[in-house]
Amino acid sequence: MDKNLLSQVAFYFFAVLTVASAAVVVFARNLIHCAFALLFTFFGVAALYVFLGADFLAATQMVIYVGGILVLILFGIMLTNKLYDVKLKTGKSQFVPAAVTVVVMFAILVFFMLRTSWFQSGSVLSGPTTASIGELLMQDFILPFEAASILLLLALIGAAMIVRRRSE
Amino acid sequence: MIGLSHYLIISAALFSLGILCVLTRRNAVNVLMGIELILNAANLNLIAFSKYSAGNIDGQVFAIFIIVVAASEAAVALAIVLSMYRIIRSVNLDRADTLKG
Amino acid sequence: MNPQILTDLKLFYPEIILTFALLIVVVADIAFPRISRGLSFLLTALGLIGALIANIRLLSADSGTLFFGVLSLDPMSLFFNCFLILTSLFILIVAAGSRELSRRNMGEFYALLLGVTLAMMLLVASADMLMLYLALEMVSIGSYILVGYLKTDRQSNEASLKYLLFGAVATGSMLYGMTIIYGLTGTTKLAAIQDALYQGAASGNNSVMLLIATVLILAGFGFKMAAVPFHFWCPDVYSGAPTPVTAFLSIAPKAAAFAVLIRFFFTAFSDASPGMGHYSNISSVHWTALLILISVASMTLGNIAALRQENMKRLLAYSSIAHAGYILMGAVVLTEQGLQSVLVYLVTYLFMNLGAFLVVIAIYNHTGSFDIQDYRGLLKRSPFLTVSMSFFMLSLMGIPPFAGFLGKLYVFGAAVNNNLAWFAVIGALNSVVAVYYYARVIKTMIIETSGDTTPLPVSFTNCFLVWLMVLPTIGLMLFWSSVEKWTLSSVTLLLGG
Repeated sequence: MDKNLLSQVAFYFFAVLTVASAAVVVFARNLIHCAFALLFTFFGVAALYVFLGADFLAATQMVIYVGGILVLILFGIMLTNKLYDVKLKTGKSQFVPAAVTVVVMFAILVFFMLRTSWFQSGSVLSGPTTASIGELLMQDFILPFEAASILLLLALIGAAMIVRRRSE
Repeated sequence: MIGLSHYLIISAALFSLGILCVLTRRNAVNVLMGIELILNAANLNLIAFSKYSAGNIDGQVFAIFIIVVAASEAAVALAIVLSMYRIIRSVNLDRADTLKG
Repeated sequence: MNPQILTDLKLFYPEIILTFALLIVVVADIAFPRISRGLSFLLTALGLIGALIANIRLLSADSGTLFFGVLSLDPMSLFFNCFLILTSLFILIVAAGSRELSRRNMGEFYALLLGVTLAMMLLVASADMLMLYLALEMVSIGSYILVGYLKTDRQSNEASLKYLLFGAVATGSMLYGMTIIYGLTGTTKLAAIQDALYQGAASGNNSVMLLIATVLILAGFGFKMAAVPFHFWCPDVYSGAPTPVTAFLSIAPKAAAFAVLIRFFFTAFSDASPGMGHYSNISSVHWTALLILISVASMTLGNIAALRQENMKRLLAYSSIAHAGYILMGAVVLTEQGLQSVLVYLVTYLFMNLGAFLVVIAIYNHTGSFDIQDYRGLLKRSPFLTVSMSFFMLSLMGIPPFAGFLGKLYVFGAAVNNNLAWFAVIGALNSVVAVYYYARVIKTMIIETSGDTTPLPVSFTNCFLVWLMVLPTIGLMLFWSSVEKWTLSSVTLLLGG
């Protein structure tokens, strides 16, 4: 009984952490604050993956999102020297209609999501997922796996080409 | 008990916050962060459905590919932002206005 | 290795050839920097031609799914493969001779072109939502880079950034919609989604969720097709990108987007009544109604906005938005005739649109301008370009006996034959409105005069390519029956894999 309560508390803690840091990303004025809030969002999402039993994905999330993408974003911020954000030029007039639309959209989504009877397959996932994911990647999804490597090659070529300074 | 609905609400919140970020923020790197929020929302959806609904790992494998795509997109986006910064010394989207309309 | 994979690889030669060409071009560009330009051009051309030949040889193969149901090989995917490879081949030649790209190292350009073509081929054959998303993003990311290829040009960079941010949001939303479908049906494979929908996965309360998912997915498809209301990136990106890339974007990814839209909705959300040549919507979502809305909005907004344009690239951008609307008309009617009309329209659109862009490029190569005002008196400076451009404009208007008329005839005919005559009337009215801005270009070239009457030289390759586009534009009506036969045989989609 105690363990159940503890895990529920932990879940709510991480859920609030995730959504609150996402809110900071949207509303903070300082870009560095946004980047660090994003770090907490990614961390919270990884924790939620652990709650869902997706161990491999939680590790992948931390390694790639925090270790890769977030570091890249921080480099981007530093190299473009925008340590302090410019005041929102458009002020309040643009913000309110967008916020209203988004709140309405959120309400509609949640309202109908709770009323939908989602697919029930009956089988239950349990245990570590890494082996099953590995099997799928080598069999059912082998083509997307190889195609992803081509995607990474294209992104690599493109990003390097755009950023490289030619000395001619 | 924590169930599917909890995760769906969190992912809907992340998705909405991501869309709000894209609609209202003026800095390109900030918009990129909003895009990452949207992709994380989709990932959370997939993994929650994978456990509570579909009973197969396809959702988690899909999520892995989404993470890969997100990484490539972020890399290309930041390369373009850097390139543009060199040219106009700003990544404020309101200054990206030579193309009208 | 799994024997199934080995047999599937035999049917996968076009993509394998493109992959090897891509890898070789990347290596050659680094290894031989001095002859890189010519060498990578040659390798890319060989790769594309090889893939085209391999594709044609596959036309006699049986339809089936490849690689555990992730791709489907059927006449429609082969049709689009040919279309896309051919487009890339033309763009390759155009880009090699383009003045805008002349100072840039082209090795990466050709590699990216090969990569995007490969990705589009995977996209049009995708039978699984995972493969669909991955291929779509591959096309998009490659396109973002190509648009920003002139990295020292501010407009090119801006266009690239806008394209990327808009595109990432659109495909992110599409992805969210796909996750909802995964939750409703428990699978990512299109054929299995159809089964699940049959068994009532989206009945009652669930139909709203499916509607939300459909709208989100249409955001992604609509973005790629440049259809209203997901078209906002189009004029800016078309105008800022190097013109060969603009021409590429206006044809190839658009066509791939139509292919995937058709495949997604006709495989997952519909079912074919056997032998009757028409489909029925088995989902509770009226996606046809949504597509009609998008089509009408695209035609109308595209044509009206084009009326005011002074820049040729922006004019052609809005024109392509309008044409997306016409093409969607064919996808809405849920019959084989409708699908055939989409394919016919795309074939005509390839020649007339690419031809128009070719003339724009040829004029830019000499004058450095995209303004319509600088086309004044072109008749005296280059009668060849003027006459060909007039043909392309007349074809885009849909005037017989040009190819564009054939496309519009099929699309409007499909609408009329399926109790959507009012829809065809809207299309016809829009075509009439469009006559104004196409005719304005012709008028500026032929009737107006400017002080400058020096002859405008056209390079040999551009000349050759323009002829290559003009001949089908004029003569497609003559070969109407073979076009009809080929497209009719291509409308077979693999269903229920």
